Amino acid sequence: MRKIRILLADDHKLIRGGLRLLVEQQPDLTVVGEANDGRETVTLAKSLKPDVIVMDIGMPNLNGIEAALQITEASPEISVVMLSMHSDESYVLRALKAGAKGYLLKDSAESDLIKAVHAVADGKSFFSPAVSKVLLDDYVRKLKRSGAEDAYDLLTPREREILQLVAEGKSNKDVANLLNLSVYTVETHRSNIMEKLNLRGIPELILFAVRRGIIS
Amino acid sequence: MRASTSQNTVAPLPSAFDAESSGHSKKVRRLLFIAFGWLLVLLIGAGTDALFSVRRLDRASQEVSQRFTAHNRALGTIVVSVRVYDDQLERFLLQDQLQESAPAPVDITTKIAAVRAALANFPQDRDPEEQFLLAAMLQQLQEQETSCAVVLAWRSDLRQQRAYQFIGQQLIPWRTRIFELTAQVSSFDEHKLALENLAVAERFQSLESRLVWLVSLALIAGILMSLVCGWYILRLERQARQRYQALARSRLDLESLSARLVEAQEEERRSISRELHDEVGQSLGALLVEIGQLSKLISPDDRVTQAQIAQIKSVAETAVKSIRDIALLLRPPMLDDLGLVPALEWQAREISRRSDMEAEVQSQNVSENLGDETKVTVYRLVQEALNNAATHAGAKNAKVTIAQNSDKIAVEITDDGHGFDPERQRGMGILGMEERVRRLGGTLTIASAPGKGATVKAELPLGRIEAP
Repeated sequence: MRKIRILLADDHKLIRGGLRLLVEQQPDLTVVGEANDGRETVTLAKSLKPDVIVMDIGMPNLNGIEAALQITEASPEISVVMLSMHSDESYVLRALKAGAKGYLLKDSAESDLIKAVHAVADGKSFFSPAVSKVLLDDYVRKLKRSGAEDAYDLLTPREREILQLVAEGKSNKDVANLLNLSVYTVETHRSNIMEKLNLRGIPELILFAVRRGIIS
Repeated sequence: MRASTSQNTVAPLPSAFDAESSGHSKKVRRLLFIAFGWLLVLLIGAGTDALFSVRRLDRASQEVSQRFTAHNRALGTIVVSVRVYDDQLERFLLQDQLQESAPAPVDITTKIAAVRAALANFPQDRDPEEQFLLAAMLQQLQEQETSCAVVLAWRSDLRQQRAYQFIGQQLIPWRTRIFELTAQVSSFDEHKLALENLAVAERFQSLESRLVWLVSLALIAGILMSLVCGWYILRLERQARQRYQALARSRLDLESLSARLVEAQEEERRSISRELHDEVGQSLGALLVEIGQLSKLISPDDRVTQAQIAQIKSVAETAVKSIRDIALLLRPPMLDDLGLVPALEWQAREISRRSDMEAEVQSQNVSENLGDETKVTVYRLVQEALNNAATHAGAKNAKVTIAQNSDKIAVEITDDGHGFDPERQRGMGILGMEERVRRLGGTLTIASAPGKGATVKAELPLGRIEAP
């Protein structure tokens, strides 16, 4: 079986060492390189063509988000897992917009890293459970204070189904096949969902899904 | 003190400056006061003197002319009475030859008594010479009285015989002598009048020259004093200008100092934040990973050790969390990682999590390439305003709007708290905001009133690079 090839990017050697230790305990994972900053990560991503990049957000010379943007634009087949200390929406949304598939909190890296790498290598998303919790807490608090309705309650069961599949990274065609619907119908559902939830773009949709614990 | 254009020259301490100049100006003030006093005394003195002198002179000249008139009148009375007596006596003596009605001897006696009365009535303020002449007249009169008594006693034939002889040899010479004497007195009086008038004129002249002298003195003193005053005013003006310049300079110094202070504070925060995050935070992060490894190496059945490891892990996690919180407060990496708007959104959510206030951010057209100073200024401004709203004003909602156009960026933070009086309550926070905004050449306005919430508005000009 082919091993999943991983590039580790963090400006702290200690962290990289710890991550490498974790990864190399797994028989199906291998670390193919380590990068010290954003620029080096972009260069190594081009030359090494890893399957997964585990990357810190706060790095010198091009931060993780900028680097992720450049990498996913140049090579969409590479899956990026962002490593961050922040569970705030701003970070998660920026990471998603930059094309990251996974978002891992440093606190829980030790327990979730392996799951995250496997998930993104498999084409799925992965978010630290703590992130979902923080996002949901913020959302619920805001609803409570403003007295507004939870937009999720407005969705029909079918729309919820489609929301989950889209958030997991499925294309309209995949969704249509899975649910035995026409692509046109799926598209209509999708735009209804976006409108009901007041979302702009896939990253916001994924964020919403993460918040509701629909995907993790 | 001398004005200095050198930038390195430190302005003299205001207290020393004041003490020196106030001692000096006190002396000058006292001198001026004394001089003005003298000038005033001089003018009043000269005026009073002139007034009294003129009045005195006037009185003297009046006295002189009154006296002259009195003497003159008395002389006239004497001359008239002598003439009347002389005429009556002559008519009495020649009554036989002229065959007219003759006056009675009693009348004659009355007339000569009138002469004596006129002499006695001469004013008493007599000079020795006048006295002498009057005495001579008196003597003549006495002789005449004696002769008159004899003549009146004559019988008719004797009178006819001797009348002409008596008139020719006695009466006429006597009359002539009396008239000579009165003429002498009169000319003496005239002479005296002339002398006295001269004396008055002399006194008047001396008053005139004294006045001229006093007025010129006052004039010179006045000119001198106005020169001194002019010089003093110029000196005061120069001092005021210098003081103002020193003040302006020190204010400028103060401004640049406080600007440097803000800069230094920001730099320091950034560096401490980076140290905390990079060194301590990362080490602790690595420690957590190692602890996880360790826990895996130990059999799950070894409960005691596993519990111990869990304990260590939770302590390390707490440390990581608090260090992160401190680092975030000092210098949020969001500004560098995400840009201004996401950082503001983070901040709004962060304060919503920590307090009872819900904060919301709305942005419009905000560039991602804002300069670091602009970003930090807006960030700190919003941070301060939101913190004030949540902790001091007890606000429930706050709204941050940020909009950018071609040459400026405008931020507005409004809350529904209980407000304050911005004129009175200016804490360090507001001063800090003002300082940061002024440094970038922007404007800050704070509108609030008790019970009316608060609105903080700032406009910052943008550099060319930052324009969208």
